[in-house]
Amino acid sequence: MAKQYDVLFRLLLLGDSGVGKTCLLCRFTDNEFHSSHISTIGVDFKMKTLEVDGIKVRIQIWDTAGQERYQTITKQYYRRAQGIFLVYDITSERSFQHIMKWVSDVDEYAPEKVQKILVGNKSDEEDKRQVATEQGNKLAKTYGMDFFETSACTNHNIKESFTRLTELVLQAHKKELDGLRASINDELYIADLEDDDNKRDRSVNSQKACWC
Amino acid sequence: MDQSVAIQETLTEEESCIIAVQCLLIMDSITESRLLGLVERGQEHALFLFTHRRMAITGNDITLDKVVPITEDFVIEEVTSPDELAIVGSDTTVRVTLPGLELRLRLLFGSHSRLFLYEVDKACQEYDSETPKSQFVWLSKYCRSLKCLTGLSQPRNCKSAGINRVSFQPIYMGLLNYSTLNSNTKRKGLCMQHPRGQRKMARLQSRPAKVKGEARHDMVRSSSHTLSNKAQMLAMPRFGLRDNLIKCELLKNEEQYTYIKNFSFFIGTYNVNGQSPKETLRPWLSCTPNAPDIYCVGFQELDLSKEAFFFNDTPKEQEWTKAVSDGLHPDAKYALIKLARLVGIMLLFYVKKEHAEYISEVDAETVGTGIMGRMGNKGGVAVRFKFHNSDICVVNSHLAAHVEEYERRNQDFREICSRLLFRQLDASLPPLTIVKHGIVLWLGDLNYRICELEVDQVKDLIEKKDFKALHSYDQLKRQIDENAVFHGFKEGEIAFQPTYKYDTGSDQWDTSEKCRVPAWCDRVLWKGKNIKQLEYRSHMALKTSDHKPVSSLFEIGIKVVNEEVYKKTFEEIVRAIDKMENECIPSVTLSQREFVFKDVKFMEHRAETLTIHNDGQVPCQFEFIQKLDEPAYCKPWLSANPCKGFLAQGGEVHIDLEVFVNRSTATELNSREKTLEDILVLHLQRGKDYFISITGNYLPSCFGSSLQLLCHLREPIQDMPLETIRELTLMPQDSTEMNSVIAEPPLEIPKEIWMMVDHLYRSAAKQEDLFQQPGLRSEFEEIRDCLDTGMPDSLPGSAHSVAEALLLFLDALPEPVICYSFYQECLDSCTNVLMCKKVITKLPPCHNNVFNYLMAFLRELLKNTVYNHLDINTLASIFGALLLRSQSKQDITEKKKAQEFIAHFLINYL
Repeated sequence: MAKQYDVLFRLLLLGDSGVGKTCLLCRFTDNEFHSSHISTIGVDFKMKTLEVDGIKVRIQIWDTAGQERYQTITKQYYRRAQGIFLVYDITSERSFQHIMKWVSDVDEYAPEKVQKILVGNKSDEEDKRQVATEQGNKLAKTYGMDFFETSACTNHNIKESFTRLTELVLQAHKKELDGLRASINDELYIADLEDDDNKRDRSVNSQKACWC
Repeated sequence: MDQSVAIQETLTEEESCIIAVQCLLIMDSITESRLLGLVERGQEHALFLFTHRRMAITGNDITLDKVVPITEDFVIEEVTSPDELAIVGSDTTVRVTLPGLELRLRLLFGSHSRLFLYEVDKACQEYDSETPKSQFVWLSKYCRSLKCLTGLSQPRNCKSAGINRVSFQPIYMGLLNYSTLNSNTKRKGLCMQHPRGQRKMARLQSRPAKVKGEARHDMVRSSSHTLSNKAQMLAMPRFGLRDNLIKCELLKNEEQYTYIKNFSFFIGTYNVNGQSPKETLRPWLSCTPNAPDIYCVGFQELDLSKEAFFFNDTPKEQEWTKAVSDGLHPDAKYALIKLARLVGIMLLFYVKKEHAEYISEVDAETVGTGIMGRMGNKGGVAVRFKFHNSDICVVNSHLAAHVEEYERRNQDFREICSRLLFRQLDASLPPLTIVKHGIVLWLGDLNYRICELEVDQVKDLIEKKDFKALHSYDQLKRQIDENAVFHGFKEGEIAFQPTYKYDTGSDQWDTSEKCRVPAWCDRVLWKGKNIKQLEYRSHMALKTSDHKPVSSLFEIGIKVVNEEVYKKTFEEIVRAIDKMENECIPSVTLSQREFVFKDVKFMEHRAETLTIHNDGQVPCQFEFIQKLDEPAYCKPWLSANPCKGFLAQGGEVHIDLEVFVNRSTATELNSREKTLEDILVLHLQRGKDYFISITGNYLPSCFGSSLQLLCHLREPIQDMPLETIRELTLMPQDSTEMNSVIAEPPLEIPKEIWMMVDHLYRSAAKQEDLFQQPGLRSEFEEIRDCLDTGMPDSLPGSAHSVAEALLLFLDALPEPVICYSFYQECLDSCTNVLMCKKVITKLPPCHNNVFNYLMAFLRELLKNTVYNHLDINTLASIFGALLLRSQSKQDITEKKKAQEFIAHFLINYL
């Protein structure tokens, strides 16, 4: 039987508008794909349960508005994330160029321990490709990130990339997890799911993931 | 263990304890264990709180502590403290309130607590305020032992405890629909069966506090009971619902991922009469052709010594265990998994080595039913375990002796069934009883005898091997047939002679004085599906004891898990629950995501409506929330009404988005340092955030512009390029350099002031109550537009409106006529005319001009005091406040001084 404790944490999808963040999320959680693009205006999330290394992990995946004008607001969600997907569109050189800016924002606003992976989405649209796989690889290497080319449309590498980031987050919090294994607590929230929002704490220091 | 039984014993016959739970009463610094019962009488209900010793079994174990009637004002709500991290699967803290009483109780996580809350809720619903017949009179008798009914403890202020009102209800409602509780539904009948041991109750002492509630609290009680969407409950992760749902679904689908495989179980029982092993046990334990998969071997009267009885310690344990280990089937290797012993009752559980890894959740418990109903000379021991996916419980019992005591034996059986409890792995779940197991194997010296026959008749039937006839006189058979004991158990046909009582060391029937009637004391029974008895026999070869050992070989169908299918089923369930959960994240649709406010003017009220429609599957709480580093949820010129609220499922709310630029925001908008742009973040509690963008443009106005800027504008402000306005506004105040943008020298005073003053001077110098009667809003707007867009010969509107416009103009000046930097100096010199005048000369030229111009105008007005009834004090007070402004709040002395200061200029030039 699987172990009785759960871990919960937050992953964040970041990247320019239109790179397919919402599609990645829908494909991963609901196994659905809609080709029409409706801009996310706000911050949406879905839950998903994964089992990684025998640990039941519940992840809350936050899908953010990619449009530039919302970026000052979406930044405030970074610090509550344990893992971040930096997503670009392989058919858009521009979205790839912007990864640098996204990375620097993440460095500035996300917790130090945050895990990142680079995702080049729309790998099915080979004929429109503007960013070579090698470029993605290289950029990922520069930042010391893992890299996946995915397609929400064909369900290519979706589960793999989400699982990988989940593993990375678990590894990063290994110490706490080991502590957990030893303790009798049978559940654990890495992220505080119940952020009751009038109580949303805005001070940066207290935003550290909560390990109990 | 249903503890309502204990409570029931303290109640009268008309009252019944519907359900009871163990809980913790949380007091300021300590928590104490309590037994909490829901008691019903007629239509009325009350919560009874008992202190208790150990696990309460009888009424003697508990003492009444508090009684809380469930009246109209009764509220029970889940409490979550912001300091505590909500953990799925954690205990539930509830707050019980009545006027003057507040209790905080922590209920253990699990279905039983949920069931309890459900029952309490039902009780709340049943409370009928229309027919207050008895008003809880029945509770009065409990009063004497307590001080009063409610308000026993001082109400405590629970600091900032957040309360989940909305979602409390659906949770356990949903759960019920979801059917975890089938096995618990018999509780009501159960507690009704025990009206014995009523406590002598005190007479009516005081009437119970009669409580009236005006407003029915919108709590548990009033929530709709029709919510059937099982997903609804997932909106509240606090009840640890997820895991329960998964378990429940897994159980439901067990057949999908398990298949039945047969295993052989050898069950043996032997009353050894306090003897040590003297012979090999092989004839008994290795009598089967093939090696059994599992051995469960039970002994009774292992040790009859006082030491064993009082200290539960005996060397015989080891001796017999070794004898058994040596006697097991030689064709296989076995591992001793568990040994359980209570005094002389011992049970050994062996499993073939290759099966050991499929054995889990092994536990052992004992219950004594001997002397005083508790001691271990009689009673039972049980081992439970999980073999593959089947839950199995094996019980070895030694029931009360003597022919006539069969009812006592029945009672011992019931005691063992109710008192023998296994703790669950998940401590929050209620303990497991014997009969909760899918497979129960019961062995032992049950001590049932043969009745109604004389010893010779019995021996005669044995002689004839007419066991069938003899069996009909067997007490156990009769008691089972009467449904008095071993309900649901089966026993195989007995084809062996009675196993009791022989002369030790022989096959000779008891030759002692007592000359006992032979009896089938030693038996094996079973309960459960897929169990086949292959053999049921005694073993005459063993002669150590006055009993003969008995054995039963079973072929039992065990649920073996197909790992692959199990994994798939598990994943499917998880996915389905994830999906449900995602569907239950609060969600709304907005009528519009972008709002544009075009050409907003100074002090012009503009509004648009945003409609929020709750299209999600749950009610939701919405709120516009602050953005990082911003003091409020929106810019100062914007507001949303209401800015937070609650939306029922399918409900709709209209939000007024209002834009209003006043003097505090006008200046920055004029200069375009700020723009009419904002993004509102609409947050749903436990849900998504929506961004709503507000954009627009502001038409610059002389209102809110500085004197300096206006002096540089020869054209109406709205005819000027925005860039020019911006540059001029940002120009330092004392800049003497000619601005590059404006070639011409500045005007002496802003033309707008001149237009207003001149208008008043020419047409309203004799106007009664000038500056004292308010103007019309619509006229103000015309005047504002006039000043901002053109240079008409005369201004529209009444004299009062123009006068008010002038005051508003002065009020909106970002730098007052007497600059902030001279404010203190003016106040300090207010007693000295010359000093006052001297300060004025220090003002920047345009400010100086405006000041002198305004004073001259006011002095002109005072010449017409006969008509306009104005006097120095009035004007000094009005203009003092506008011309001499402080950056901080003015106090009354300052105001007086400002007035005095202005007054000098109105008097002395007369």
